[in-house]
Amino acid sequence: MEQLLQEQAAAESADSGEAGGAGGLLQVAGAQEARSDDRMTLLLRLRAQTKQQLLEYKSMIDANEEKTPEQIMQEKQIEAKIEDLENEIEEVKIALEMKNLTLASVLMDDMKHILKLNKLIMKSQQESWELEEKLLDVRKKRLQLKQASESKLLEIQTEKNKQKEDLDNVENSDKIKTMQQNLQKEIQITTVIQHVFQNLILGSKTNWAEDSALKETVLQLEKNLTMI
Amino acid sequence: MSVLKPLDKLPALNTATGLLVGTEDALLQQLADSMLKEDCASELRVHLAKSLPLPSNVNRPRIDLIVFVINLHSKYSLQHVQESLRHVDASFFLGRVCFLSTGAGQEHHCSIHRNTVLKLAHTYRSPLLFCDLEVEDFRATMAQRLVRMLLVCAGHVPGVSALSLLSLLRSSETPPPEEL
Repeated sequence: MEQLLQEQAAAESADSGEAGGAGGLLQVAGAQEARSDDRMTLLLRLRAQTKQQLLEYKSMIDANEEKTPEQIMQEKQIEAKIEDLENEIEEVKIALEMKNLTLASVLMDDMKHILKLNKLIMKSQQESWELEEKLLDVRKKRLQLKQASESKLLEIQTEKNKQKEDLDNVENSDKIKTMQQNLQKEIQITTVIQHVFQNLILGSKTNWAEDSALKETVLQLEKNLTMI
Repeated sequence: MSVLKPLDKLPALNTATGLLVGTEDALLQQLADSMLKEDCASELRVHLAKSLPLPSNVNRPRIDLIVFVINLHSKYSLQHVQESLRHVDASFFLGRVCFLSTGAGQEHHCSIHRNTVLKLAHTYRSPLLFCDLEVEDFRATMAQRLVRMLLVCAGHVPGVSALSLLSLLRSSETPPPEEL
């Protein structure tokens, strides 16, 4: 006589499966993500279960390897032996717990030390970050100044070029040309007049070196006008 | 199979199977229902049986926990349980068997003495639980406890094995001397 009862436990996957039916792409995407998360948790749980079950089977195998005493003992003796074994188990468990506690306390010290170091690291990192920020600001300012000076120099250069251009223009203009031509003509005329006067004085065969005023005039006529 | 052996089959993924053995069908059914109502992440299966041995023609998964339900009002249930105990392999008693006695509240109806059950549990080194299965609240609490035990025995609780649970549940009181 045996009856069987079964239930699909309220696994999270069943719930999120229904959520997919609701309208909207966003909801479906969210439900899918929830389902994959549930699958992950399920897998992790199954992994832990399998590990534990494997451990149990292994310990059973190890236990079966031990030889059971063949002799038929009195019931009292059996009871006493069983109690001894139970006490052994208890003692092993207690020893394990004590070891865990001591390990935990040692761990605690290390953890505290690690926490302190982490705080120090964070502080130093913060400081170095601030210094870097300052450096960045100074560099930015330098760059700005450079750029300003560059633009100023450019301006100066353009100004100079303009001036040169203007000068060239001025030089090349027609007015200047005509003025220069006139100047040349005047110089030539004056040179001719100079020569004429020179020849007049020389032709008169007078001794011009004696008279200071005449000497001065002759010397003045020697002046080459093109050199002025 | 004439003898129930633990760990003789591979476990099903995420499934824990319990077996309730007892003569009180209604109580067993109610207890099984309460157990299945419990919210847990693993799948639970509960088999009910009046007595062992179980018929071998049915393909069933491996049993993780056996709960022997003894009704203190009837000697018949105790006899049945004692007979069924012979069909359980010794290695089951390493934490996968539990005794549950019901009906201790009504003192004048009890035909089995409390000490008898205590001695039985002590002989088999298994935990003994008392619960009045007729009251719904007690039944629900007991169902919770049984479900937790079942999960531990099935290996679903990492770090706790059936044997460690057994040593935790060991009661400090020794059975009273036989003079009483």
